[in-house]
Amino acid sequence: MKQIRAVMVGQPNVGKSSIINAISGARLHVGNFAGVTVEKKEVTLQKGEYDIDIVDLPGIYSLKAYTPEEHVTKRYLIQEEYDVIINVVDANILQRNLILTLQLLDFRRPMILVVNMVDELEEKGGKIDANMLSTLLGIPVILTSAKEKRGVDEVVDKLIEVYEQKVCECKLYYNEKIEDEIEQLSQILLQSPHFSDPNLARFYVIRLLENDEEIYKIVHDLPIFLELHEALGESIKRLKLEFDADSVSDIFADERNAIARSIVMQVMIQPQKETLTDKIDKILIHPIFGLPIFLFFMWTLFQITFEVGSIPMDYIDETVSNFAAWLKTILPAGDLNSVITDGVVPAVGAVIMFLPNILILFLGINLLEQTGYMARAAFLLDGFMKKFGLQGKAFIPLVSGFGCTVPAYMAARTLKNPKDRLITMLILGFMNCSARLPVYVLFIAAFFPTTSAGNVLFTIYVGGAILGLIVAKILRTILFKGEPEPFVMEMPPYRFPSIKVLAMELWIKAKLFIKKAGTFIAGAAMIIWFLSSYPVNEQLQSQYEQKIVQAHSEAQKVLLQNELAARNLEYSYLGQIGKTIEPIFAPLGFDWRLSVATISGLAAKEVVVSTLATLYAVGEADERSDTLISKLRENIDFKTAIALIIIIMIYSPCVAAMSTFYAEVPQWAWRAFYTIYPNVLAWLVAFGAYHLLKILGY
Amino acid sequence: MKVTQMKIGQSGIIKKITAPEPIKSRLFAMGIAKNNRLKLLDHTLKKQTWEIEVEGTRIALRKEEAEGIEVEQ
Repeated sequence: MKQIRAVMVGQPNVGKSSIINAISGARLHVGNFAGVTVEKKEVTLQKGEYDIDIVDLPGIYSLKAYTPEEHVTKRYLIQEEYDVIINVVDANILQRNLILTLQLLDFRRPMILVVNMVDELEEKGGKIDANMLSTLLGIPVILTSAKEKRGVDEVVDKLIEVYEQKVCECKLYYNEKIEDEIEQLSQILLQSPHFSDPNLARFYVIRLLENDEEIYKIVHDLPIFLELHEALGESIKRLKLEFDADSVSDIFADERNAIARSIVMQVMIQPQKETLTDKIDKILIHPIFGLPIFLFFMWTLFQITFEVGSIPMDYIDETVSNFAAWLKTILPAGDLNSVITDGVVPAVGAVIMFLPNILILFLGINLLEQTGYMARAAFLLDGFMKKFGLQGKAFIPLVSGFGCTVPAYMAARTLKNPKDRLITMLILGFMNCSARLPVYVLFIAAFFPTTSAGNVLFTIYVGGAILGLIVAKILRTILFKGEPEPFVMEMPPYRFPSIKVLAMELWIKAKLFIKKAGTFIAGAAMIIWFLSSYPVNEQLQSQYEQKIVQAHSEAQKVLLQNELAARNLEYSYLGQIGKTIEPIFAPLGFDWRLSVATISGLAAKEVVVSTLATLYAVGEADERSDTLISKLRENIDFKTAIALIIIIMIYSPCVAAMSTFYAEVPQWAWRAFYTIYPNVLAWLVAFGAYHLLKILGY
Repeated sequence: MKVTQMKIGQSGIIKKITAPEPIKSRLFAMGIAKNNRLKLLDHTLKKQTWEIEVEGTRIALRKEEAEGIEVEQ
């Protein structure tokens, strides 16, 4: 068996995923590129005596990498071992795609060109002469349509053919003056004993002329660096003078553009018809109707995600608790029983619980992206979002945040610029998730008249969103001061989504979520469970059990049981932590019970309610329990209640959300910042509100 | 004439692009390069975001970037 390693490279939206999907007999493997949260798709297949492995690299517009995805692709192309480059281009926008092709040809490695979506072009009356294109570029060209499964298997045949030839017959050269400089500089590089491959030397020189920092780092340690550096400076000066340009990058850009133009003129008959996209765009990005249409789509997506999603969630929740209850009866009583049924099973359940939401939301987002509508949404909203230092696309994760922060963090992946993504994720927690609602309902019921309940709730939600936008603006001006924030985005044509690709993307998302965030979430849920159940005070336990046995009435028994639960929680590590940090919360008027409840809210926001119920010895109660409401009124004053609501609005989201953030953001500095700043901010705002109300005499 | 001075539906040939890196490279990668044909398709109500078409690609830009592209009719 012979091993062939190939990489698939292309600009975004050229349909690489559909090609990968359409290759017959290929097995898909999914993972992450080392050290980054960028998905890696890989397929393996066998053909004749060949074992073929194709890595699908993330879409890249140019070798001047910009997004994290593009850096991954570029680094892979430069550093990893592979035999053949498969370059995929979109037939409909051949000229622009060829600019990347030309950059890839600089590698002078075995390469094939796959011209995809040719069916669309032909439908519109266009045509591409594959033979001519192949002759001009010096590499095999295959016309494909992944949708019609046309030409896809030929890709594999050509791959083997090119692999056996070993060399690239690329005949492309730049302007003579440029080639002269490349030749001179290559000679210097080749003097170095580490360098023997003239093709690689040529590639490095071209990248260096274009001021490529990554290549600079590689050659920096070579002994001939000084000589090379000096010669490079001279060359750049000469070229700039010769071409009257600001930089050599510009010269190469113009060169490549000119070559691509002339190739397209020779091989392509341009389509004539007005496309469907023009017609749809007239409605969907209409200056007046565009926004309401978008809001309607968002509302629908949101409703489906969290309304329909809650059905399987409830079902999963029920199944998990039934399963735990059943296990409790068949396992021998004791610590092990408790560890499994109260710790492990609910922890695993907590992970699965989020899956329906994530899958539905991602189905929606993938649909928006694949049909091309996402770019339109960003176009419509960018003007507004820009005022707060955010980007148009940030709207979708932010709105999802009102449902659940966990899928919202994952939805932020749709933002390709790392800074935009980070800022969006840092303020996502201010969008009040649905789990916080029970806490608000409880406190509003206890401290506000029923008539104003709706207004108070509305103020909380809008207040959170406004605070988030303000914080975004502050983060942008302070943390990323003076850095350019380009917004140059392709608006792909509208296309019907491919079910196969949608299914594949969903499967990948589910797998990655369970693997990465899932382990975090299960671990965190276990820790919280442990903290709230241990240590057990045996003496207290037996004391109360005696009392319960001796109780005269059922009512008294329940009272004693509730009291025991309260004392147990007070004695647990969680209770001890709550008491230790009580001084921190004291300026907000919190007693230790509220402190413990606030801490327990890190497990999940709705837990605040049940913890308060336990601590006030009400037993099992929800946010509508009259007993709990009257207990709160007795123990807490109005300004403290407001301070608590503010804390819940701003402080860290639940551990599941935090785990997802950690899984998505690999830098420790940002993880630390994310963990600390909302809590500090929450405390400061709550403190301000508490004392303001105090001055006002509440 | 700058892109921001064009009327919707108007087209022209790109003559000059002024932008700092990395925006300039981004524009090139999208096909916004000298001598290519550019058509203004749309802009939002407040003229903050602009949509152009260059050689078959539709591209959305902010006002700041659009101002840096000069075309000739």
